[in-house]
Amino acid sequence: MRLELGEIHISDIKLGDCSKVENGVLYVNVEELRSLLLEDEDLASVEFEVVHPGESVRVIPVKDVIEPRCKVEGPGGMFPGVISKVNTVGSGKTHVLKGCAVVTTGKVVGFQEGIIDMSGEGAQYTPFSKLNNLVMICEPKEGIKQHEHEHAIRMAGLKAATYLGALGKDVTPDETHVYETSGVMSGKAQYPDLPRVGYVLMLQSQGLLHDTYVYGVDMKRSMPTILNPTETMDGAILSGNCVSACDKNTTYHHLNNPVIHDLLEQHGKTLNFVGVIITNENVYLADKERSSDWSTKLASFLELDGAIVSQEGFGNPDTDLIMNCKKLEAAGIKTVIITDEYAGRDGASQSLADADAAADAVVTGGNANMVIHLPKMDKVIGHPEAANIIAGGFDGALEADGSITAELQVITGATNEMGFNKLSAR
Amino acid sequence: MLLVTNNEKVRTKYGPLCTVRFVDGGHNDVLKTVRDLVHKGHRLLTHPLAGSVKPNETPFRSVALSGEAGAVDLPSLELIEEAMSMCRQFPPRFHRGEDAPPDMRDDFAEIDFRLIDGALSLQ
Repeated sequence: MRLELGEIHISDIKLGDCSKVENGVLYVNVEELRSLLLEDEDLASVEFEVVHPGESVRVIPVKDVIEPRCKVEGPGGMFPGVISKVNTVGSGKTHVLKGCAVVTTGKVVGFQEGIIDMSGEGAQYTPFSKLNNLVMICEPKEGIKQHEHEHAIRMAGLKAATYLGALGKDVTPDETHVYETSGVMSGKAQYPDLPRVGYVLMLQSQGLLHDTYVYGVDMKRSMPTILNPTETMDGAILSGNCVSACDKNTTYHHLNNPVIHDLLEQHGKTLNFVGVIITNENVYLADKERSSDWSTKLASFLELDGAIVSQEGFGNPDTDLIMNCKKLEAAGIKTVIITDEYAGRDGASQSLADADAAADAVVTGGNANMVIHLPKMDKVIGHPEAANIIAGGFDGALEADGSITAELQVITGATNEMGFNKLSAR
Repeated sequence: MLLVTNNEKVRTKYGPLCTVRFVDGGHNDVLKTVRDLVHKGHRLLTHPLAGSVKPNETPFRSVALSGEAGAVDLPSLELIEEAMSMCRQFPPRFHRGEDAPPDMRDDFAEIDFRLIDGALSLQ
């Protein structure tokens, strides 16, 4: 499969009465976009704010972050099975509005989380402080249930990103990257001496506010399966996960999965990147056994020599992580796991809820319990009172002067387990 | 199946459907009850740390176990001990449901209900 990714560099977003991309500026007709989003019966209002890197602005609580993209050539469209028809994506040509994102915010439940600070100490921990963000404050109609509210916000973010991405369809990209993958047999013929490496991508799938969708399928209802790495770049996987801000994979992370990018970069040089095995993180223990058996079985079918496993979330997914690792190693597949840690505020406690001697190659995204102090921001978008009740915040987290003392886990993407960040682990 | 819960919402739906052991207490009291049942030979069916709402944040927990008891199931024992040890690291924010503000209490109860309900309805 061959995908050409054309990056259009976006240096600013401006709200106005016309939607276009011109000279690196993304112009958004807010009324047109608003009326598109308000077609959803569950939404009462959508407000827009633009935030730039370096500004004294805090966004809280963040639900998802999405990069605007558009299919230019080849089968399918963005977010297949949800926004576009369900055709297989990942080949042809896709345009990306690089340097910007859609950020959705809304209070789905009383203890929601996720901070993006655009400046100060907190900004160092989230990759999204480096982007020009179109923040959408989505308020639901009176009386709708939590799961309907989550669905409405999720869909609004995806629709807005698709609308904005389409503005780049006829724009000449500033930079083009080509990603080409081999078939199972042709890869073996092409690179007979390179180690065969696969990526086991674990997806959060425990239930309400903890879900991930693949081609529109709720991943907790799926068996592990195989994706071509480039499919993720066209939005085959999207996030419906609103909890655990620091180590959730936003849709932006799925579109820009650094494990996939790095493995493709090394494909044909130091290794043969055979494919992506996606698996779930369910609540039922028999599901965990079945899924880890299957991800290992698929890895063995692909005759992998090595695997990288990335986790999403904390606590019971540690069990899935260790099951995957143990079984892959037992099948003779050298395995590296990527996780993060809940090692207490002093970093001295046991980091994971599960462990095994087979997990002897571990990459960490950092300690989510580390306490940080976030200075007061001139402007807060969303629900600042959420700081007191989000995971990792604690009573008194929101100080009288508007600053916040909380654990690192409140920051969106801070200890991401795809290894998207560099700062929190030394 | 045996369902241990301190969540009224879970008791209401599952009370008529299976054996529910209702715990009048907090999150950690549920885990202790589960541990005792594992010692008596019941096998865990769902993970005791379901959900990424951190165990020290949510006051509610529901865990499913096998209805019949046999010899002690070592993997179950290991899981529940690890879960309890994880919870000991982090002092609970709300010991019991009634300690949380009312709107948060309802949301915590709803999430706990949805997680266990989602897990059981797939089986």
